[in-house]
Amino acid sequence: MSALVDTMCRESAIIVTCGTGGVGKTSVAAALGLRAARLGRRAVVITIDPARRLADAIGLSGRLGNEPLKVDTGKETGGELWVTMLDVNETFDNLVRDASPTPERAREVMDNSFYRSLSRSLSGTRDYMAAERLHELHNDPRFDLVIIDTPPSRNALDFLESPERLANFLKHPLVRLLAAPGRGGMRLANAALTPVLKVISGIVGSDALTGVAAFLRSIDGMEQEFSRRALEVARTIRGDETSFVVVAAPSTDALREAGRFVDELHRLGIDLRLVVANRMPPRFGTGTSADERARSVATTGEESLAHSILADLREDAELADSAIGTFADSLHRNFPRAPISTATEFPTDIHDMASVVRLAEQLAAPDDRQ
Amino acid sequence: MEPHHFFTAQRTLIVAGKGGVGKSTVAAALALLSARSGLRTLLVSLDAESIDVPAHELLEKVTVTPGRALGDYLSSKGMGLLSRQLSRSGIVELVATTAPGLDDLLVLGRIKAFERELRADVIVVDGPAAGHAVDLVRAPIQLKRAINSGPIGQQADEVLDMLADPGRCRMVMVTTPGVTPVTETVEVVRDMVDSVRATFAPVFVNRVDDPVPPIDVSALSPELAGAVGYARERAHAQRTAIDQLHEAMTGGHVELPRRRNAGPALVQAMAADIENGLGLLA
Repeated sequence: MSALVDTMCRESAIIVTCGTGGVGKTSVAAALGLRAARLGRRAVVITIDPARRLADAIGLSGRLGNEPLKVDTGKETGGELWVTMLDVNETFDNLVRDASPTPERAREVMDNSFYRSLSRSLSGTRDYMAAERLHELHNDPRFDLVIIDTPPSRNALDFLESPERLANFLKHPLVRLLAAPGRGGMRLANAALTPVLKVISGIVGSDALTGVAAFLRSIDGMEQEFSRRALEVARTIRGDETSFVVVAAPSTDALREAGRFVDELHRLGIDLRLVVANRMPPRFGTGTSADERARSVATTGEESLAHSILADLREDAELADSAIGTFADSLHRNFPRAPISTATEFPTDIHDMASVVRLAEQLAAPDDRQ
Repeated sequence: MEPHHFFTAQRTLIVAGKGGVGKSTVAAALALLSARSGLRTLLVSLDAESIDVPAHELLEKVTVTPGRALGDYLSSKGMGLLSRQLSRSGIVELVATTAPGLDDLLVLGRIKAFERELRADVIVVDGPAAGHAVDLVRAPIQLKRAINSGPIGQQADEVLDMLADPGRCRMVMVTTPGVTPVTETVEVVRDMVDSVRATFAPVFVNRVDDPVPPIDVSALSPELAGAVGYARERAHAQRTAIDQLHEAMTGGHVELPRRRNAGPALVQAMAADIENGLGLLA
């Protein structure tokens, strides 16, 4: 297993970590980045909405923004670990600047009074900006590995399809009509569409709709560039040098979610490189919980109590093993060769660099599970 | 505190917590306990895939998802007939882009309607994950910036009235006893107090392990000593996090022990644990 995690960290240009909340996805992303740095790579981790404590842990509290910052990893290896937090506004500004034919046009778009609120609310913007930022950093000569901690969205892998989704939204006939009402050739369609816009206007108010129309007009003509980029971003993410990692924890909810990610990847025809079973209860000795319960009954006082504590911990480990085993069965129906790497739960939660280091060591350590 | 007293202090409880803390189980257990206290209870789930809840004659379950709430609303405005030839998602997205948060407002509006219609004595909402809970309760504020008049502006005002009235609605935060989840919980609480003047019921701290009494490990085998050391360190770290929560929050908290069962059996066990926990509150 160690070889596998290390090979992935050595060979990938992009690593995407997916997982539901509470499984330690951000910690795993940071740990993989650290491992890659130890292997001599220049890695950057993009977090979308990190727990502030983690930013504190990596020594970046209050300073984490769109511009990557270098983390002191404490060892000279030739590699580097950088961390950045997605800034949706700044990324959108960059996109508009790049897509505008002239700087004046870019200014015009950004001066629109609805620009700021709309650039946030526009169909799946946060997901799309994550994809866009990933693409930017992938092309940044400072880095040779980009690790992205996927946004916690309601639907597993929205962010993968977000570039196409935005492009399709901008091509929607209603949106075209709103952006360019007088354009020839649209007249026939307008007759059918205008009542729909009237209803929407009745719901959201005419001011809001006018604002959207002004915004859409200001970016009119840029949508081809948006679409072209969207395709390029999608190609980058789906490329051969991208590894997908699903992070799970041994609870029913987390494993059900992990199962959804796995199905979704399979549906999209994307290979799954690794599953991390994170937060596994530690194992003490090789016996069963039943053995220890029996010993607890047969002894008295502190000794009995100690056996009872060990029995509880073993029961947790047994339940977790069985849950992961069931998950592995369904996983291997879709991805017969996907390995599972485990990391045990620390007695304290991960909130400092030392625990990220320990997690990285665990992920890279040999493991007998397959 | 008696469960009956806890549940009748307001009509609506909105349960929120980050992923993996057991928010939905706590919501289900609260609903079950409320029904067992003789109160007609409605459990509202905002997620189409919700957990199994043990049956009770006074307990009813409904699902209200943001997507469906917005779709229903658009249909009620005659959009269904008009938009037959258009991709429906385009219309929904255009509306969501123009009026961000409208779907969330409609969800809250539905809850408010349940409350106003006296659909039940107690309404327990299995809310969204913590990060999104802030978006949900802020939706009316955000929306009012763009649309301050008409039926939507009025809906937003009515929902804000409900959220700010402790006699009608309180938030229940669920967390686990770790530094990170506790810190996030405290932040979410501050945010919601500042933004919508929400009132909070005691925080539920889930999966708390028993304290480990002093044990002389020098005479024990390495695996026993290792297990005791681990359990002690974990219990100690949990205590530190709970103390931190206690200091930051004035409303008190309820500790729920770690349970090893799952599904409806876990909901049953947790309902009993909540009853015990409430009993310890002043």
